[in-house]
Amino acid sequence: MKHLKPVLLIVILSSNIFFTGCSPFVDNNEIEEIAPVTFWSINPGAGGKLEISTLGPPLVKEHKRLLSLKVDLLKQGGKDFNLKYYRELKSGQLRMVLINEELAKKGIMPIINTLLTDPDISQRLYLVIVKGNFDEYIKNQVKSQPNLDYFLYRMLRHYEKKKQGEMSIINLHQFKKLLYSPFSDPILPVFKAQQTNFIYHGTAIFKDDYLKGIAHGVDDQIFQLVNNDYYLKFLPIPKYSVVLGNIRSKVHKKMNENDSKLSIRIDVNGRIEEYRGAKDIQNSIELEKFNKEIETYLEKQTLDLFKNLQQLQADPFKIGTLTLGPISKPMSEKEWLKHWKTLKVNVDYNIKIHPLTSVHE
Amino acid sequence: MFWKQSDRDKSESHRDKRAVNLQNLKEMLSNMEDAEIIERETNNSEKIIFIYIRTLINQERLNEAIVVPLIQSSYASVCDCITNSKVSILSTLKEAETQLLFGSVLVFNQKQNVWCSVPLKNTTGRSIETSETETILYGAKDSFSEQIETNITLIRRRLPKTELKVEKFTIGTYSETTVMLMYIDGLTNPEFVKIARNELTNINFDLFFDSSQIAAFMEDHHHSIFPQFLQTDRPDVCAYSLVMGKITMLIDNTPFALVAPITFFHLLQSPEDYINRWPVASFLRGLRYISFIISITLIPFYVALTTHHYEMIPLQILYVLVESRSKLPFTPFWEAFLMLIILEIIKEASLRMPTKSSQTLGVIGGIVIGQAAVEAGFASKVLIVLVGISTIAAFLCPNYLLTKANTLIQFIFLIFSSFMGIIGIALGMIGILAHLNGLTSLKQPYFAPVSPFYGRDWLDLFIRGPLIWMKRRPEHLRTLQKWRYRSRR
Repeated sequence: MKHLKPVLLIVILSSNIFFTGCSPFVDNNEIEEIAPVTFWSINPGAGGKLEISTLGPPLVKEHKRLLSLKVDLLKQGGKDFNLKYYRELKSGQLRMVLINEELAKKGIMPIINTLLTDPDISQRLYLVIVKGNFDEYIKNQVKSQPNLDYFLYRMLRHYEKKKQGEMSIINLHQFKKLLYSPFSDPILPVFKAQQTNFIYHGTAIFKDDYLKGIAHGVDDQIFQLVNNDYYLKFLPIPKYSVVLGNIRSKVHKKMNENDSKLSIRIDVNGRIEEYRGAKDIQNSIELEKFNKEIETYLEKQTLDLFKNLQQLQADPFKIGTLTLGPISKPMSEKEWLKHWKTLKVNVDYNIKIHPLTSVHE
Repeated sequence: MFWKQSDRDKSESHRDKRAVNLQNLKEMLSNMEDAEIIERETNNSEKIIFIYIRTLINQERLNEAIVVPLIQSSYASVCDCITNSKVSILSTLKEAETQLLFGSVLVFNQKQNVWCSVPLKNTTGRSIETSETETILYGAKDSFSEQIETNITLIRRRLPKTELKVEKFTIGTYSETTVMLMYIDGLTNPEFVKIARNELTNINFDLFFDSSQIAAFMEDHHHSIFPQFLQTDRPDVCAYSLVMGKITMLIDNTPFALVAPITFFHLLQSPEDYINRWPVASFLRGLRYISFIISITLIPFYVALTTHHYEMIPLQILYVLVESRSKLPFTPFWEAFLMLIILEIIKEASLRMPTKSSQTLGVIGGIVIGQAAVEAGFASKVLIVLVGISTIAAFLCPNYLLTKANTLIQFIFLIFSSFMGIIGIALGMIGILAHLNGLTSLKQPYFAPVSPFYGRDWLDLFIRGPLIWMKRRPEHLRTLQKWRYRSRR
């Protein structure tokens, strides 16, 4: 009886450790003996294989080189990298997975599931779609920019934070939520890899795990305004020779009673940052007219974007959730997508522009 | 062993019963060079014998207060002639021995056949100085010295009340150390006084030369690394503790008093907390708690992260760590262990070395620990920084004994972290918390007011609340007077 209490305590403590997923068999993770990998670039290889690349060593001030492998499975790549390199490459610091556009079109579910089930890999992992050859870009840049991978990570981290209003940065956890939730489809940022440049291109639109299209240019800006950040630092509209700045939006989405018409009202507040047109924006009547023109332009663009999404049968704006009610029977996802394709959409912009200069009556 | 003890006890009791006479005293004082037996004749031609131990008495006062008045007097009684305030008549040899050894002069009047003792204790010792172990910027600067009477004076001046009781105990079969148990009657929980009395009476050991030894005998948990008595040389701390309902023990020949019952949190409180403005004091107290945690976990965390959890390190820091550790021959555990051992050697040496050599130690320590260790490839730059931070953080703790305990906890956590990483540190923390929860000080819970929970006492726990709000005495001390102020009625 005397020893019952300490024995019970030890049993409870050890059960806590072992049954909560803490393995008693620990890996050798001494940081000087391993090489933590910060990114994987995955491309489609010949014969249905995957081509997986990373930079090694990723962190130490040694001459860096691109390590590439042709594998059947993602994890096989992780294992085979070790055979090519004197330090064990570990995936615990994996921060970015760059997936080639062509591969994404074929579906990325197996890749996402592999990443999700690996306990070493954090869900704070940025997923990026790459247009072009990323490996080529790395090879060209690694000599002039040895810490390229690190700076790329810092860039994604910077724009991930709210109110940066420039890019659709999505991590693995967010992607998982969008992928596995009903009435929603995931999005990812798209970067264009050229010989010496890596440029943000737009937002990749997925239908389930298949890449269906890319919203770029004004479409991508509207995407940021309607769905992602509800904020844009700058919105250049070259057609009207104007740049709007510090734009904040409020989006009101409403479905009519029989779910046949979607009305979207977007209240936008911003200011004119630059204007090179012929209108006299110091005149209030002219400014009002100009305001209307921009509203009409943005309404048309937004409507086009929605029409595209309807055609792609993708619903990244989670419009389907508007059909849900507390007592009505929810539609199945299949039914909704059928419905979504034919849904009438009405977009109404309400823009308030501050001209930054005095306006005459 | 048993028969030897009982034999000694017998001889002691035999001495107790023997009558005091010159023959027995001479026998007792044989081979004691500093014992003096002087015979003088008075003006009345009476023979007077003075017996004393030269090194224990004030010899100037001997002439002024005893020898001259006695020789020149015409009084009938010896006691009447002596100008000293306290004269007592002796009957047994044991009494005579005790008085002699406590600095009294034995005076024998042959005609009257009376032995009396006159206390003339030599009070040579340090004067009242500033505390070196518990330094503060503002507040009283005086501290206890080795003289127990002076120490009592310093407390009495702060608490001029007859309710402040002082009980005397003599412990140590050879050292005969005087211990003064102080408490405020009608305020302090009588249970504490009773426990302290019992503990002091039951102490059976030969020699005590510091209060920590007495604390070791009175402690409820002898093997714990945490001190269960607060050792302080500040009279203001003692006075404050007494008023809060604690007991204080002053020990002769040591400047450190013992205060009990204490909690773990008392060890992280400083007298300056009650002098600073309350938001500042609360901030500083919070800083002390954080520093305590940093001092025990920072290096173990470094080892845990670099050995097991590389994935938890922010990428920017990982970059620096890999760079820093890439050419080291030791694993993170051995690197940290060696550095901490070297640091402890330097810390211990700095305490023992003469003051003039300390500059050399500083230079050697700085160069060896700092630059040379990194350049020679024994330690990484990051670890040097962390060792520096954790060492300085440990010194924020106002209690020196806790600072020393920190070091040991740090080593234990280091071993745990090298085997099990952060889980090891968490287990160590659980162990420390469980241990603290089980400790008692004078049979009172050591982790109060957190466990058991006393909500009101939290006002002076992790923060130091405004004094005007602290109108009640701590609940966990269960004092007889709960309020700190008197009703105006």
